[in-house]
Amino acid sequence: MLLNSQSIQGHYGSSTLKSDAVKPMNEESTTHTRTGQWEDALSYVAVNQDKAAYAELFAYFAPRLKAFGMKMFGNEQQALEMVQDTMLNVWRKARLFDPTRGCASTWIFTIARNVRFDMLRKKQSRKDDISADDLWYDGNYPEQEDSGSHQWDTLLMAEKVAPHFERLPEAQRQVMTKVYLEEKSHQEVSDELAIPLGTVKSRIRLALDRLREALDDTRS
Amino acid sequence: MTHAVKHHPGIPLLEQYVEGTLEADVALAVAAHIDLCPHCQQLCQDLAVEQGTQLQLMKPVDTQDSEPDWQTMIDSITAEPPLANPPRQHKGPITVQFKDKTFQVPRALARLVEQQTKWTQLGSIANNKLPAGDKRHVSLLYIDKDTAIPQHTHRGLEITLILSGAIVDEQGQYGVGDILINTPDDTHTPRTLPDQDCLCLSVLSAPLKFNKGITRLLNPLQHFFY
Ligand SMILES: [Zn+2]
Repeated sequence: MLLNSQSIQGHYGSSTLKSDAVKPMNEESTTHTRTGQWEDALSYVAVNQDKAAYAELFAYFAPRLKAFGMKMFGNEQQALEMVQDTMLNVWRKARLFDPTRGCASTWIFTIARNVRFDMLRKKQSRKDDISADDLWYDGNYPEQEDSGSHQWDTLLMAEKVAPHFERLPEAQRQVMTKVYLEEKSHQEVSDELAIPLGTVKSRIRLALDRLREALDDTRS
Repeated sequence: MTHAVKHHPGIPLLEQYVEGTLEADVALAVAAHIDLCPHCQQLCQDLAVEQGTQLQLMKPVDTQDSEPDWQTMIDSITAEPPLANPPRQHKGPITVQFKDKTFQVPRALARLVEQQTKWTQLGSIANNKLPAGDKRHVSLLYIDKDTAIPQHTHRGLEITLILSGAIVDEQGQYGVGDILINTPDDTHTPRTLPDQDCLCLSVLSAPLKFNKGITRLLNPLQHFFY
């Protein structure tokens, strides 16, 4: 690694980068990221074209995007092409990122997915005209009202929900257990699992959806 | 659209759509459904958040011997200017014409319907193939009122998304935004209502591969109680 995300201090508010100092150093600390860190970095890139903030983002995400690309393409050359194209979009389109609508990691994932999709279309050189722009709306749908989890309490207490609960994807079951059985707040779960707060909320909604679907199936 | 969408793609289909691994023509029908369906918009947003989290938690590949030249990549990227004025395509409603009728279609179809060729009519059904894929298995179907919809026979799935009007079959009624997914061995016979014509998007896909079998896919959330 030429770059180490811990060693680069941006020009921008370097104090915001030290928030992990109070946490004991352990193996986890290398993968742990403070909530809001990448969102802040993106807004510095958007507003000031801040190269130090960008280098931070790059140091963290480029190797992970490469790993993602290796998984999807199975070869390094295309994986790196995807990394370069994705990170170029991150640099050029940073202004389009809206931190009130979601995490930086979600935004970067969707860019990488679209880059990969269009790369594959070209590789297959089919005359297909369907592009990533057609498939994934590059904007925001109207905001949904939060359906509020209180209405789920009765659903979750139903006895027949238990077997379906066991079959939830591990990541969702873990979050549901902490929130509904251990009665932890979403923020506590986010801190404990070192995942963004938005991810906690998303996993709960996805799990409730699965449970509702499973119960519906048994009803019909 | 205020119509409450009742027939959604199953979760495995949405997962592959969000991942970007779904066949393009099937993904197009899913994308058009999502444009019409607030429920699936939220679901897909949540699935994308999960994918983003997986990316964030991913362990970088260990390649001690040949680390890419990241610094050169950073330098070449940051030498580029930021996007001057982000394109915000905000046109009016996207429409298609059939004879004297005008129909509104979802955003996902905007570019394709601009390039649409022409309608070919056979009796009370008209077909307009969209320029998507060599096999040209993506089309708009206009079906006059009180007409049975012909079934195709092929080995893949037949996906129908209602864009205007409604169709009925033995299972019930499908309105705007509802998606129907039929396998080759489905035998039901959809038809339009006695007093209303219908426009839909039709996709004949190649057979799809699913690890967990096809039942979840074909058992979309049809009985939502909300
Ligand atoms: Zn839906």
